[in-house]
Amino acid sequence: MNDTTNLIAESAEKMFSDLVNKAVLDKAEEGVFADEIWRAICANGFDQLGVTGSGTGLADLFHVLVVAGKHALPLPLAEACLVNRWLGSNEVFGSIGCVEASQIVDVPWGRQASVIIGIAPEGLVRNKGKNARAGVNLAGEARDSVELDAQESVACIDDPFALLTLSRVCLMAGAMQTVLDLTLRFAQEREQFGRPISKFQVIQHQLAVIAAEFAASLKAADAAVEALGTDRFITDLAIAKARIGEAVGVVNELAHQIHGAMGYTHEHQLHHFTRRLWAWREEYGDEIYWQTRLGAIVVEQGGDGAWDYLATSR
Amino acid sequence: MLTFDRAELPAEAETLRAEVREFLKSNSARLPRPNSDFTTGHDPAFSAQLGARGWIGMTWPLEYGGRGRSFFERYVVTEELLAAGAPVSAHWIADRQSGPLLLRYGSEQQKAAYLPGITRGESYFSIGMSEPNTGSDLASVRTTAYRMGDGYLVNGTKLWSTDAHRNHYMVALVRTEPASDNRHAGLSQVLIDLKNDGAQVRPIRNMAGGEDFNEIVFTDVLIPEDRVVGNPGNGWEQVTSELSYERSGPERFLSAYRVFVEFIKAVGKNPLPHQSAAIGRITAHLATLRRMSISVAGMLEEGKTPAVEAALVKELGNNFEKLLPEIARLALSGSPPSEGFRQAMTDTLLLSPSFTLRGGTREILRGVIARGLGLR
Repeated sequence: MNDTTNLIAESAEKMFSDLVNKAVLDKAEEGVFADEIWRAICANGFDQLGVTGSGTGLADLFHVLVVAGKHALPLPLAEACLVNRWLGSNEVFGSIGCVEASQIVDVPWGRQASVIIGIAPEGLVRNKGKNARAGVNLAGEARDSVELDAQESVACIDDPFALLTLSRVCLMAGAMQTVLDLTLRFAQEREQFGRPISKFQVIQHQLAVIAAEFAASLKAADAAVEALGTDRFITDLAIAKARIGEAVGVVNELAHQIHGAMGYTHEHQLHHFTRRLWAWREEYGDEIYWQTRLGAIVVEQGGDGAWDYLATSR
Repeated sequence: MLTFDRAELPAEAETLRAEVREFLKSNSARLPRPNSDFTTGHDPAFSAQLGARGWIGMTWPLEYGGRGRSFFERYVVTEELLAAGAPVSAHWIADRQSGPLLLRYGSEQQKAAYLPGITRGESYFSIGMSEPNTGSDLASVRTTAYRMGDGYLVNGTKLWSTDAHRNHYMVALVRTEPASDNRHAGLSQVLIDLKNDGAQVRPIRNMAGGEDFNEIVFTDVLIPEDRVVGNPGNGWEQVTSELSYERSGPERFLSAYRVFVEFIKAVGKNPLPHQSAAIGRITAHLATLRRMSISVAGMLEEGKTPAVEAALVKELGNNFEKLLPEIARLALSGSPPSEGFRQAMTDTLLLSPSFTLRGGTREILRGVIARGLGLR
């Protein structure tokens, strides 16, 4: 990360830790759009990350998304910024979903959007954000759907599906960090048998496994961001989405086990992060989807050529 | 600690990679062996060739036969050798572990005496840590080396020392003072000349059928006092730093690599969807581990001591080495395995229990990580 990117990520950290809390997350899950946070985001220019002329690049957006994931920001920052990037506008709250038959589905906060972009195999279509049907993913995040209307196509030099995939990769890396932090803290505070449970070897080993899975996930995510704009991007993205998706299963399982019944309550904040991890690993291609794409690339190299492909990745 | 900074292999490392591949091609009669395990394949002639190319002890200063090259360049040489299934076990420990130990703690006389032979690929070292009653609890070693005239009298037994029956020297962790309340005190590291000091070396057959590791018995073996490495009594600090050197290299995640090669060959150009996914799954793990390991090489290059990071690479890497054959075998279920796959699989499975034992068990590593997390 360069200095500018660091500064942007630091100010995002400050903004999100000031504004996002359990009450806000619960409200968002009840269907209340986090308007105050959205206004703060716009006031600070965070809805313009990656937009031409904003002085920021896509890498800045994705570094901020790690921070957003860390706080479970209940707004579709990636979608909003990418709509501004593709439409070159800044007056709207836009969102993005995938075209399925005659609909655009899984649109985060589509009910709130003034414009919705649908990703189809043949390109992007633009929809007016009206009459969206409310829906949620398993984390209770708004995932709405709309009927396709005028189908105005949108020109775009990016690979939209890949950038949305990378958004989930970065969000997951951030959320996983919080799951690790919460679990470390809980294990050191919770006492049983006369001492903190973190003093038990079995708990220490489980925490070590979570830490290792998180470290691998963070590295994979960072490598994919680093590869933006290079001919290795899809490979590194596939590596990241597949690797992190696999880590999510391990991390969530152990984090909940260590938290015991406390972490199973709605009152505890852990589930805001673990449920998002479960939801995001499904969005924009699960492990099998990306493993298969990645495998096809490696198979092309053959058994003897695979090493060269792996080793000269950068 | 959990952030592995970006590290890019420099251009000279990529140039070197091409040279290593050329060299491997010219040695194709020796290659590939059916596994990429660094503890099998003892081939002094091959090691001497590597030494002649300047690829052993390559990060060390020129005055001791080193080439003053970067950790990135060493990384590239080691990963190319392992991926190709090259026979590297003769010089491996000397290059990775014993040499750096001598460089850091050894006397001027020791460095001059031992390091050049290592870099030529002619002088091989074994590790002398474990004992019959000392495994993970390394501070419990009972082998003693007590002062006797101008030297030390060594008594005790070392165990699991790979290639001690073939190698020239061992760095042994011994008690130079009787055990006290401070169990880390009174330990020292001494150099043993395995060919001439009079230690009894007995190979132990492993479950894979190989005879690589050994029992070494010392009965009143007298060694001169200049064999002590570093200050007497400083053994614990030295041995723990030695262990952290050895944990993050590509040998911690490439041991099963030949299975992957044969797996890709066996599925051919038109894999079934689940076979592509299996290959992708393995690739995702491998590529991520490789980046983490290169990041650690970058930390070493900057003079840092990434002990916890190295433990994380070994923990993840060893688990992956065991996972890889499991993924591959089930993905090929129902199709007749090629001879190459069958052989790589057999070799690797039989060696695999050692992956999470050697160089610190999985349990010890998780303890190291837990300490890094502030839990101990």
